[in-house]
Amino acid sequence: MSLSIQEIKKKHEARLMALPGVVSVGIGRTSDGQAAIIIGLDRSRPETEKRIPKKLGGYPVRFEIIGPVKAQ
Amino acid sequence: MSMRNILKENRPQLRSRANVVATGIGYKIVKGKKTSDLCIICSVKKKLPLSMLSAKDIIPLEISGAPVDVLETGVIRAFLGRTDRWRPAPGGVSIGHQNITAGTLGCLAKKNGQTFILSNNHVLANSNDASPGDAILQPGPYDGGKFPNDYMAKLHEFVPIVFLTPEPPDGCGIAKSVASILNGIAKILGRKTRMRTIVMQEGENLVDAAIALPLSEADVSPEILEIGMIQGLSEGELGMAIKKSGRTTAVTTGEILQVDVTVDVEYGSGRIARYADQLMAGAMSQGGDSGSAVLDNNKNLVGLLFAGSDTTTVINRIQNVFSALGLHL
Repeated sequence: MSLSIQEIKKKHEARLMALPGVVSVGIGRTSDGQAAIIIGLDRSRPETEKRIPKKLGGYPVRFEIIGPVKAQ
Repeated sequence: MSMRNILKENRPQLRSRANVVATGIGYKIVKGKKTSDLCIICSVKKKLPLSMLSAKDIIPLEISGAPVDVLETGVIRAFLGRTDRWRPAPGGVSIGHQNITAGTLGCLAKKNGQTFILSNNHVLANSNDASPGDAILQPGPYDGGKFPNDYMAKLHEFVPIVFLTPEPPDGCGIAKSVASILNGIAKILGRKTRMRTIVMQEGENLVDAAIALPLSEADVSPEILEIGMIQGLSEGELGMAIKKSGRTTAVTTGEILQVDVTVDVEYGSGRIARYADQLMAGAMSQGGDSGSAVLDNNKNLVGLLFAGSDTTTVINRIQNVFSALGLHL
């Protein structure tokens, strides 16, 4: 049985959040509507992107530059 | 002489009469029906019998041949902005702990039969640096709220925010560690208060939430400004259309683009707190909107807005907020 996207996200989350510039990890969709793991970055981080595979547990990974998240 | 010139010449003497709040030109109303005759309209706070007015305050039936109508309009107030003082205060207006700048009054919620104001910890409890009983001002201090004139509620309870220690400056990737949880708890237990931490959040937070008890229930309104009454609760889902009513950007709409979000949020002075199980929408808020209630298109409460970046808005799930504070609608 393959793992759900929630389980895959949970499994990799701590490692992903520890990478430089990673601000958030969540579950969203790709532009064509597929469930995806979305990684939010504080700015352009090519080195961090290189260290993360294009897919995790079969689910696509998408990067978004969201900037620092601040309490408002 | 034209009607406008008659009014121009006589405006000062009309405005000097007691109760007059406005003067203008309009169609004369006879027995509740608008006629085609123009007249000068004197708006008054209250129509009084002539016997109760001194001669100098009685408005003449005619001035320089122009008929005069007296219209009761009540007191005319300037349109209230969200950073003004509101009584009763609805959701969506400025509020804040006496030591902060300003945030948004989210909505009302009940606990043990009492009505409370719901907003963020960092709005009502100064990011943990507050004690139950502290003064909550409406509007918030940045918007001119002052003690005691704008003192509207007392801080009642907050869910402590657990902060991570800042990244080491060389960024060499030492795992961020949890700090000051114990301090936080000791501080809370040390006080004479009914406050309890209901869910222990080990290093991860679920909510940035606090409640305040209004000094008088008559000072708060269950409505959300420009949205209306809350109809119920709803679970935030991917793709759901949402809206919020906030101090800074008023009513804005968006869509839940991510769920199950883990996110690091900056609180100033290098403090960062990690949140789990958050909802993320596109940009629909700015500083001062924190604490806004987030609703779906059927006016069901979905979340509590508390953070954002240039392109995102981060929202606590309302179910987590209500369970952490023992609230219901």
